[in-house]
Amino acid sequence: MITQLIVNGLIAGAIYALVASGFSLIYSTCKFVHFAHGAVIAFSAYFLYFLFSMLGLNFGFSVVLAIIFASILGYGMNLIYKQFRKRKTSSVILLIASFALLIFVESLILILFGADVKTIGYIKIARGLEVFGAIITPLQIAIILISLVLLFLLFFFMKKTKIGKAMRAVSDNKDVAEVVGISSEKIYGYSFIIGSAIAGIAAILVGLEQNLEPMMGTNLMIKGFTGAIIGGIGSVSGAILGSFLLGFVENFGIWFLPSGYKDAIAFIILFIFLLFKPKGILGIKRSVEKE
Amino acid sequence: MLKIKNLKAGYEEQEILHGVDLEVKAGEIVAIIGPNGSGKSTFLKSIFNLCDVFSGKIIFKDKNITRMPTHELIYEGISYVPQGRQVFSDLTVKENLEMGAFIMENHELLRRNIRDVFEKFPFLKEKQNDYAFTLSGGQQQMLAIARALMQNPELLLLDEPSLGLSPKMTKEVFDKIKAINKEGVSIIVVEQNAKKAVEIAHRTYIFEDGKVALSGGKEILKNKRIKNIYFGGR
Repeated sequence: MITQLIVNGLIAGAIYALVASGFSLIYSTCKFVHFAHGAVIAFSAYFLYFLFSMLGLNFGFSVVLAIIFASILGYGMNLIYKQFRKRKTSSVILLIASFALLIFVESLILILFGADVKTIGYIKIARGLEVFGAIITPLQIAIILISLVLLFLLFFFMKKTKIGKAMRAVSDNKDVAEVVGISSEKIYGYSFIIGSAIAGIAAILVGLEQNLEPMMGTNLMIKGFTGAIIGGIGSVSGAILGSFLLGFVENFGIWFLPSGYKDAIAFIILFIFLLFKPKGILGIKRSVEKE
Repeated sequence: MLKIKNLKAGYEEQEILHGVDLEVKAGEIVAIIGPNGSGKSTFLKSIFNLCDVFSGKIIFKDKNITRMPTHELIYEGISYVPQGRQVFSDLTVKENLEMGAFIMENHELLRRNIRDVFEKFPFLKEKQNDYAFTLSGGQQQMLAIARALMQNPELLLLDEPSLGLSPKMTKEVFDKIKAINKEGVSIIVVEQNAKKAVEIAHRTYIFEDGKVALSGGKEILKNKRIKNIYFGGR
């Protein structure tokens, strides 16, 4: 039983971590809450459904196109935000704009694909493997592995590459970044492209594991956002840590509570952190040292 | 080297500089002093295209650089160190220096510049893998200057390098500024610490209400009116 809960927590955490890391990357450089990130996930999952299940294209090819689609969609949203930034609007307005984009894209999905649940159906329902008494399907193993590899690559990218370092520089101090010739607008663009590509990959994994529904983006975004808050918003590694924690707490929670309360657990944790530790686990340390 | 003619600049609607003329010759340290709000910092920002230039001309090495984008100004040989120990605090010392050379494509040059900077500031070499927020205030100011040196500037713009530093640290920073100048870098330094600035400068401009009120060499310290305003009348 315990191993099963650990496995379930890992699977949920891996998905949340992919959502939260992209969202957190965008937040850390652009300094505003991009809720429409959820819409990028939902639309990319539907796009994969469209290419693979409706048009019947090759699966690998569809996956690559879906990831590119996610990047372009995210970058396109950034172009809209850019118009607001040019007018020097506040981050509250940007937040409202991102909600508008989220609702817009979800409505678009409703019009294009309808409200009924869709299944991509690439992977036939497979019998789970037994690992230490827990049942896990090959797809779920793939989800965990792909997430871990991706998150490691993201970490490496931020620490070792020039663009990654420039992203951290803009996140840290945008004005100084401009002074040394780093264009923050360009870096915002990169963050949206990379963050949305990760969202696209999350969309594919979720799309294969679960059914598609138009509001799936909002649901995932709430989990990803909670993960990011737990870990410390603006810190990508914090977001990953927080997401896995959330995955575990949710799954261990239903040991004590009826499974219908699973989503409520995320909200309760979100409230607790916002009230008592708004800077999250990793956020608090730095802010003390800065003072 | 740098010639500025009748510069009017400010922010959006508000004009702060009402026609400034100023010149920096190659190899000079030029100090700009003056009361708060006289437009000293805005002046540096207008050279570096960080505020709005309404009219006037900024000529650097016979080239009009008015309103040139920041990264092009760095290519031209101008570097700027903003006010208040501005470093990337969540990046390591070495990463800060690398970001200084962000626009540089040549890796060999980057490595050589880091070596040179470590030679000038040995403590940076020791702390190269530490996060910048762990440095003291004075060390952060040195790191900010070192970061600008990574760009091989011919003209260095320093905005209040002694702000918030202890007298001992201030002396160290000013000694470094003199040493950098000795290697052929021209410098404009804006300072609250008027006496110190005039002492290291070849020439000084005094700003008042967005205009140059007075300019001259070290003898400016003896000017009665200036003495009264800046040096407590003694």
